[in-house]
Amino acid sequence: MVAADTGPILEVKDLRTYFHTRTGVVKAVDGVNFELYPGETLGVVGESGSGKSMTSLSIMGLVPQPAGRIEEGSQILYRGENLLEKSPAEMRQIRGKEICMILQDPMTSLNPVYTVGNQVIETLRQSDENQRSSSLKERAIDLLSKVKIPAPDSRFTNFPHQMSGGMRQRVVGAIAMAGSPNVLIADEATTSLDATIQYQYLALLKELQEETGMAIIFITHDFGIVAKMCDRVAVMYAGRMAEIADVRELFNNPQHPYTEALMRSVPNVDEDIDFLYSIEGQPPALDNLPPGCSFADRCPYVFDKCLEEFPPAVVAGDRHIATCWRLTPELAAQEAR
Amino acid sequence: MTQAVTDAPTSASNGSGNSIIELENIRKYFPITRGVLLRRLVGEVKAVDGVSFQIKEGETYSLVGESGCGKTTTARMVLQVETPTDGVMRFNGTDASRFTGPERREYRASVQAVFQDPWSSLNPRMRVGSIIMEPLLTNQPMGKHEAQEHLETLLRDVGLRQAQGEYYPHEFSGGQRQRIAIARALSLRPKLIVLDEPVSALDVSIRAQIMNLLRQLQDQYGVSYLLIAHNLATVRYMSHQVGVMYLGRMVEQAPVRDLFANPSHPYTKALIAASLPSHPDIEREEMVISGEVPSPLNPPSGCHFHPRCPMVMERCSVDDPELRQLSPVHQVACHLF
Repeated sequence: MVAADTGPILEVKDLRTYFHTRTGVVKAVDGVNFELYPGETLGVVGESGSGKSMTSLSIMGLVPQPAGRIEEGSQILYRGENLLEKSPAEMRQIRGKEICMILQDPMTSLNPVYTVGNQVIETLRQSDENQRSSSLKERAIDLLSKVKIPAPDSRFTNFPHQMSGGMRQRVVGAIAMAGSPNVLIADEATTSLDATIQYQYLALLKELQEETGMAIIFITHDFGIVAKMCDRVAVMYAGRMAEIADVRELFNNPQHPYTEALMRSVPNVDEDIDFLYSIEGQPPALDNLPPGCSFADRCPYVFDKCLEEFPPAVVAGDRHIATCWRLTPELAAQEAR
Repeated sequence: MTQAVTDAPTSASNGSGNSIIELENIRKYFPITRGVLLRRLVGEVKAVDGVSFQIKEGETYSLVGESGCGKTTTARMVLQVETPTDGVMRFNGTDASRFTGPERREYRASVQAVFQDPWSSLNPRMRVGSIIMEPLLTNQPMGKHEAQEHLETLLRDVGLRQAQGEYYPHEFSGGQRQRIAIARALSLRPKLIVLDEPVSALDVSIRAQIMNLLRQLQDQYGVSYLLIAHNLATVRYMSHQVGVMYLGRMVEQAPVRDLFANPSHPYTKALIAASLPSHPDIEREEMVISGEVPSPLNPPSGCHFHPRCPMVMERCSVDDPELRQLSPVHQVACHLF
């Protein structure tokens, strides 16, 4: 599992990514903190609009311009260096080589007019410009076979449309692996795949991780992927971190009411459920967040304090942090009374 | 090897009185032609190849399988937007293909649909009230007052406010739009609603709301559902009967409890093994099936699943397995039984 004695490879500190629009400021990511250790798999779970994808785009330095802006005081430390202070040229060197990303839809992340082989080579050439093309081709075929594409020699000259969705996503995986990254961000990478293909792909990622020791961030809405793949989980809601903990701790002992409710509202393949709990209402609009806790109007435990002020991050256990007023010492005491 | 208990009567032949719709050996072949002037037939895609099942009154029948298995084509034939190449579909005991004029209109009114994507299934230029009432007003002209009453009931039943009938679809979130689509489907008091992936486009916390709503409306209206889904957890929560399809054929069919307690076909087992766990401590039986779903243009001989099956035997590549009774309610098409 995680080598805790070495320092984190990636640290996100008070990340705030805002969109300045004519109608107001949309706080897509609002004060997110987490650390990622080498070889670890971190799951970032949330619904649409929770800020999980914008967090990953912020790390990659790909926040949509010009409306999107990472606010002053935010820090993204990769091996101790703040990525937000890097020039575009320096970021280009980091993207693809140090930190890579796999997106949901392989049809849109591959270029339809180039062969898949060419697209793998393109990334290889980025990392070393003086390579001869014959050795590049060899390495590209090697990568394709590493992501278990059958007959990689003949697949090398295929165009993306000649491949199935699962194959295409493998090619995207090969491109991501081309720079042998230290951090891989998989943003809903298996959502569009069929069940048995998803299973194969997740197994492949795990295998590649064991081989290379890279750290993986899984951005997903699916607790199943978290349960299967992750060491640690961060739950996001309305641009903020609701809870972060080790995976077993989170599943056995969820502290934030949102995490708890979300887990109870997911149907289960492993047992019969008579009635599924459902969270009423819907997530708030991000350009008009209530002053208090963003989950307050859907929370079954809501009380006055929740509506007034956003809760602080509270240590709820070993490596377990949740942002909820119920967990603060003063209110726990009040409740006990 | 045990011999099958009884030889497979198609599910339709043990039909009891209360089935709404019965499909018997239904087939849909799509021709592939080449040439402009002399269109030659060069092949056929056997999208659905001899599928039989029945849907009982007030029950949910689910079709599961990966993309290309024919579940959507089957649903389209039930909706009569696609004409079967062969086979019989009975609606309340009468052959639906013989329906003319008024009978067909009645059939169309009795079978409604809710689709996956509530962003594209609602006309953006119509008010929600008109969207919901359009099917009803087309089928039975009525006075303004009466129509208003109907609309109020429908809005209330799907959990929307009266005033929201005046809004346009863009003013709603995904979950609310799906409620609108459900209200529209219910307006004609149908006997059967085809639900094509009704929750997979929705956010996790909203899915439970819609699933519970669908179950509650089933009790209230006594409507049957034909559910098309790929998520086994959703299927387990929603269904009474489940049919598993692979490359156009039914491979296993059983009541939901039997299917999950005793999955028998290797493909069903693989699907369950590939489904994501609900807790990190759940270890699934390792069941790796290699490869992908083959092209339906040129399906493998014998059992379509044999190239991927871990239990493959010699006869599997030669003989088509028949659907056999494993128990009076449980059918499976596999040579192992």
